[in-house]
Amino acid sequence: MTTEARHPHLLKLVDPPIIVGHRCISCERIAFPPDPYGCEKCGSPSDNFENWDLEARGSVRAVATVHRHHRPAPITPFTVAVIELVGGPVVKAIVEGDDVVVGSSVEGFLAPEDKDDAGKVIVDLRFRITQ
Amino acid sequence: MTAPSFLSTRPVFIVGIGLHRYQRRSDQTYVSLGLTAVREALTDAGVNWTDVDAAYTGTALLGMGASRIMLSRLGATGIPMTQVENASASGSSSVAQACLEVASGRSDVVVALGVDKPRGGLGAAPGEAGIPNLEAGSIVPFTHFALLASEYMNLHAVTDEQVAKVAVKNHRNGSQNPFAQRQKVRTLDEVLAEPISGSLTRLQCCPVGEGAAAVIIASEDGIDRLGIDRSRAMQVVASATKTEALYAEGVGIDAALTAETGTAAFEEAGLEPSDLDVLEVHDAFAIEELLYAEALGLCKPGEAATRVESGDFDIGGSCAFSPSGGLLAMGHPIGPTGVGQIAEVVRQLRGEAGPRQQPNARVGMAHMVGIGAVCVVHILRKP
Repeated sequence: MTTEARHPHLLKLVDPPIIVGHRCISCERIAFPPDPYGCEKCGSPSDNFENWDLEARGSVRAVATVHRHHRPAPITPFTVAVIELVGGPVVKAIVEGDDVVVGSSVEGFLAPEDKDDAGKVIVDLRFRITQ
Repeated sequence: MTAPSFLSTRPVFIVGIGLHRYQRRSDQTYVSLGLTAVREALTDAGVNWTDVDAAYTGTALLGMGASRIMLSRLGATGIPMTQVENASASGSSSVAQACLEVASGRSDVVVALGVDKPRGGLGAAPGEAGIPNLEAGSIVPFTHFALLASEYMNLHAVTDEQVAKVAVKNHRNGSQNPFAQRQKVRTLDEVLAEPISGSLTRLQCCPVGEGAAAVIIASEDGIDRLGIDRSRAMQVVASATKTEALYAEGVGIDAALTAETGTAAFEEAGLEPSDLDVLEVHDAFAIEELLYAEALGLCKPGEAATRVESGDFDIGGSCAFSPSGGLLAMGHPIGPTGVGQIAEVVRQLRGEAGPRQQPNARVGMAHMVGIGAVCVVHILRKP
């Protein structure tokens, strides 16, 4: 059985998972998501970027449980959070567990989301309270 | 670039306002909606369509070519017409362009119109930019603001009930506005029912319907030549537009952008936040009024919720916030919204707002943000 990330170039499927951002070589800005076009700080084109591994660990700045959603997925209710990664950038992601509050330390894990027709498991990054 | 305000070199006035009520999507065409607003604005100003030199149409959802199909039904005079798309601030930007056109001296009388019909989705470019993100699909606008609410409420120890009181106030204001989509007084219990996302409930989220709003913008030359009633002409003393700059990681972009744009507008007008009597803000979600009250300098960080509770932002308070009902009650049909705000501020400064009149209103602001993010702020003053 093979496994693939929903967003392959945003994640490394290792344990614990790694979030892939970019670092601008000109101005040293570290950003997520990795940008295919150019640097918002100094304007360098993206061929001046290097991939930058970010640990999937951080603290929760904001959290909200979604009761109604405009789209078929994710299925409600689900909870999303704004997470300040230890490596700097801030990401938004789905969190699991009722115990996540503002200020919680959280860690990323790979959750199976779906299976395609060939039986390949699609995984995506979720966060939970640091074990 | 810091230059003298273009609005001080050739003064610009709003001389006419007109609206089609904001409402749920219906079979009515955008042509009919838009013409209703423009005809009313022309009548209000006491000018003829043939006196109009140019027109700007703010619309985000209609697509190409709406302006002439609509406006030629007032007479195909051949004037320049331009459509303006700037997300939720499309209408505000049509006003900004019309002000610039008059201030430049190219025109004396210009129509700024906002019109839209909802299409079940925003057709927004960010989703097609080719920049995938982890949260793709899970965070729609109301959840974006629910997260901002979470952070704000945690930081300032503000409760669900306190945020909901913004909506209670704005629904009460909307109940006095015949152009509002929602015209019902709501209790705190009603506002707190029906959770949508985080602390936000259905009545703390704006309805996106259809409608139209129009204003007639004129120079002093235009006012004199056409014999327009000067006592009902309100001066535009600031027109500021900014886009999101690079802020520190995690800073709420909507409030940071609002603070920068508000500062630019106050500087242009030579006014202070305490000068405002009326303020129409982008309260698409109840939490936003609190964020922007602080970002615009109406109160200190963390104070906005208690100011709402004290009645300070009510009609009759020190500054009436969203006397129209705001986006929460008047509605947010996208293109019309920013123009409708200007119409409300003009009505208030004229003293013609009837039961929702802010006493002695002399200075008013209209503020919109839109995805991108963009922010447009206008300040109007009674001469």
